[in-house]
Amino acid sequence: MSDSGEIWVIGEQRLGRLEEVSLELLSKGTALSQRMGVALSAVLLGDEVEEIARELVFHGAEKIYLLEDAQLRYYQSEAYARLLAGVIKDHEPQVVMIGATEIGKELAPRVAAKLRTGLTAHCIDLYVGEVDAAPHLIHVVPGWGGNLVMHIICPQKRPQMATVKPGVLPRAVRDENRKGKIIRVKPDIGDEDFSRIETVEVVEEPPRGKPLESADVVVCGGWGMNALGGFSMVQELADILGGAVAGTRPAMDKGWVGEARMIGQSGKTVSPGLFVSLGASGAMHYTTGFMGSKVILAVDQNLQAPIFQVADIGIVGDLCEILPCLTMELKKDRMPKKF
Amino acid sequence: MGLEIFVCIKQVPHPDHFSEIHVDVGKGRVIGEGIPVIMNPLDRHALEEGLRVKERFSGRITVIRMGRPRVQKAVEEALAMGADRAVLLYDTAFARPDTLATAFTLFYAIRKLGKFDLIYCGNETVDSGTAQVGPMLAELLDIPQVSSVQEVSFVDEKSLEVRRAWEHGHMKVRLKLPALLSVTRDINTPRLPTVQGIMEVPQKEVIIWNAKDIGAPLENVGLKGSSIYAAGIHEYKTDRRREMMQGSTEEKAQRAVARLKELGAI
Amino acid sequence: MDFNLSREHEMLRDMVKEFANGELAPRALELDNKGEFFWEQVKRSGQLGLIGVINSKEYGGTAMGHLARMILIEEISRVYPPLGFFHQTGNLLMYAIETFGTDKQKKKYLPALCKGEKVSALALTEASGGSDPANMQTEAILEGDYYVVNGRKSWITAVDPADAVGFVAKTGDKFSAFIVEKGTPGFEVTRREESIGLRSLPVNEFALTNCRLPKENLIGEEGRGLVCALTTIATIGRTGAAGVGLGIARGCYEIALKFAKERVLYGKPIAALQAIQFMLADMNVEIEAAKWLCYSTAWQLDQGKTSRDLAVDIARCKLYAVDVANRCAYKAVDIMGAYGLSPEYRVIGLLRDALELGVAAGSQEVMRVTIGATITR
Repeated sequence: MSDSGEIWVIGEQRLGRLEEVSLELLSKGTALSQRMGVALSAVLLGDEVEEIARELVFHGAEKIYLLEDAQLRYYQSEAYARLLAGVIKDHEPQVVMIGATEIGKELAPRVAAKLRTGLTAHCIDLYVGEVDAAPHLIHVVPGWGGNLVMHIICPQKRPQMATVKPGVLPRAVRDENRKGKIIRVKPDIGDEDFSRIETVEVVEEPPRGKPLESADVVVCGGWGMNALGGFSMVQELADILGGAVAGTRPAMDKGWVGEARMIGQSGKTVSPGLFVSLGASGAMHYTTGFMGSKVILAVDQNLQAPIFQVADIGIVGDLCEILPCLTMELKKDRMPKKF
Repeated sequence: MGLEIFVCIKQVPHPDHFSEIHVDVGKGRVIGEGIPVIMNPLDRHALEEGLRVKERFSGRITVIRMGRPRVQKAVEEALAMGADRAVLLYDTAFARPDTLATAFTLFYAIRKLGKFDLIYCGNETVDSGTAQVGPMLAELLDIPQVSSVQEVSFVDEKSLEVRRAWEHGHMKVRLKLPALLSVTRDINTPRLPTVQGIMEVPQKEVIIWNAKDIGAPLENVGLKGSSIYAAGIHEYKTDRRREMMQGSTEEKAQRAVARLKELGAI
Repeated sequence: MDFNLSREHEMLRDMVKEFANGELAPRALELDNKGEFFWEQVKRSGQLGLIGVINSKEYGGTAMGHLARMILIEEISRVYPPLGFFHQTGNLLMYAIETFGTDKQKKKYLPALCKGEKVSALALTEASGGSDPANMQTEAILEGDYYVVNGRKSWITAVDPADAVGFVAKTGDKFSAFIVEKGTPGFEVTRREESIGLRSLPVNEFALTNCRLPKENLIGEEGRGLVCALTTIATIGRTGAAGVGLGIARGCYEIALKFAKERVLYGKPIAALQAIQFMLADMNVEIEAAKWLCYSTAWQLDQGKTSRDLAVDIARCKLYAVDVANRCAYKAVDIMGAYGLSPEYRVIGLLRDALELGVAAGSQEVMRVTIGATITR
């Protein structure tokens, strides 16, 4: 176990833009590097991305391993994996964190398999704790049942790797005065890296309507909306509050919302000012999707529902009765006062 | 043409019954016995894609599952849908694997099965949902792989162009066979097995292999082959207010709105 | 005794359940209100191999048998009884041709019927009374190589969409079974009845006016028509109606149970009230009893027993399953209160459909006659 290895964050850039999740990982990286007494570094691959590398420094990375090449402009499955594994082997960090984006979810396992090491998925937290009286980096992942989480450890293999979903951790603070070292690593790539697989086109489609992640209020309906025959009340409440509509996985399976509006571990993560959960019992796979919200209001018919453990305000009752009342009260509140 | 196609399938608890899954916090174990099981939903899409390719170009579909033979629902359904044969990997040595150990187990089995053109996997499972096994398996097999595949087209006999999902858009990737594709639900609508398909199931071959059969080194599979493991299951502690509104229905609604205003949420 | 269904039967149930939940349930209310024949669902059923389960593979069937048929009709009817009932009546002529017909007839009619591309009907009933078939008036007189048929059949399910209709007519002092195809001169659908239930399945009256049918349109031998029809109705019609009853009963039970667990009165779900529990318990018991009566009968048919051997079993399962369906539907409406009566919810539709089962394939009293007469012999 190389206790002296660094903490690494794999930065992700797309078409010259740095992904938010990299900054979220840097905040966690900073905390871990302080706790463990080792340096925090980042790795960045791409083409003409030096400015992004500097941003990583401003957000806490002490060193950036920068691998640039025109052929790395787009994410390339084999090239990126090989180069990343190579630079990890050369410098032996003890922890590597990657954002669980579409790219991260494909890249991280490939690299972990190359390195024959452990990789956790969808971590909601990472911290140094004790297991059997020994210190370990604990990877916290959502568990089964109500509010249960699993503590996972990687006792032997190094580096230990973890992916974290975007929107779960807080962002690092930017400080332009931070100094860091940018280490250019010449990527040793050739045509063979692209002979078997090559990204030929990247198409960006601006999201239709307000993206869920930027809404200040999100109203999310679950299976319990079945009693009301569907999502019309969810939409009504969202309209009154000026928020976006979302749904749980069962709601998506029922066809009430599309995949783009599904909240949860395998869906979207949001952290609005107000999150309203209606008729969803609150399994961990769902609650991780909105744990970062400022205020959470939950309505469900079951007093024992786990959602009430993670809510600020809870209402138990028959949705068919509560929702019309709640809607009315909110409408009243919105009405201009009569003089 | 005659393509050799493998589809990796997992038998998972039925999502409608997830709330019945029991957690023994003390033992740190998840208990899923007695809960109805199904083939992982995305694996059905993977199999459907394989079936369409087979129908177009001719070939053979082998489904591969790791698990116990007592309940074989996923395999039966796969055979009823049209898979030609199944391989079940069963050994106590395979138990409690992490994703890499799972990938290794599948790797040894595929190595034994021999030459192949395409492997289809569902992007992720509904229970663990890591989406890791597909890419890891491809790495061990040293073949190209793409995740979140929404569309596949054959450029020629030996190469494909796939469209894969991205957060705000998509990517087009070209790859050569043999390859592994991890598919999403956008790729197709899986067929229902027909009566004819169901009746053909008993005639189809189901091979059962253990660690020795596939030449799997015990230190690479199962719990022994795992780098990560669960150290415990805990209550997730939050510092939420947990204020439950009391009173009649109207009073609850009124109090909730009042509190939300006080908290500055509305 | 092994009461477990085979893996294949379980797989069949799972497949039909998914078909019913995924493709029939979302459209059930709409199809019911439209009142049009559901060709799309019939074709889908054919595609899945469900229509020809009692026909041999040689002619396009899947030959899975009577128990398979019982299960699939049950699962379909749990969600959309008209399609289940279509299987009941649509399979009648298919069985008659398979059992009594010539190779030529089988090749001509069965493949398309198994695929669901064409549908058929079987007509015994006339104004003189379905329960009194020997008193029928429709007559077929042989003139050279043709039978000239005159008469009128009423209360026959799905004649309007049918491409082939089997019917029984007097030939001399005996009865014979014939096939008439749509478009044959002298064959005309004259009426569509208003149905209170099974709405999208038309119930028709048709007239045969000097309708000339070649000898090759006879099903089986001349004079053996009543045996052909009654055997068919017992083996296929009664078991089919029983299956529809089972499905409706279970559908109502599941809806009522779910409702009772969610509906809150006096601060808790009504499922906590003994009155509701007793009603649900009664439904539970009856459905289980009906299920085994039906399954064991179907199983025995699969073992090769004839409808004569099983006359009492068949009558029993039809009688009981249909009564249970009606009782469960009524209880479900009761449990759901005002929601039970609302046309926006399924149960009232299921009750209406259950009402139609009484007179199907022989009335409930005819079932009692069969049982009573046999046991007192």
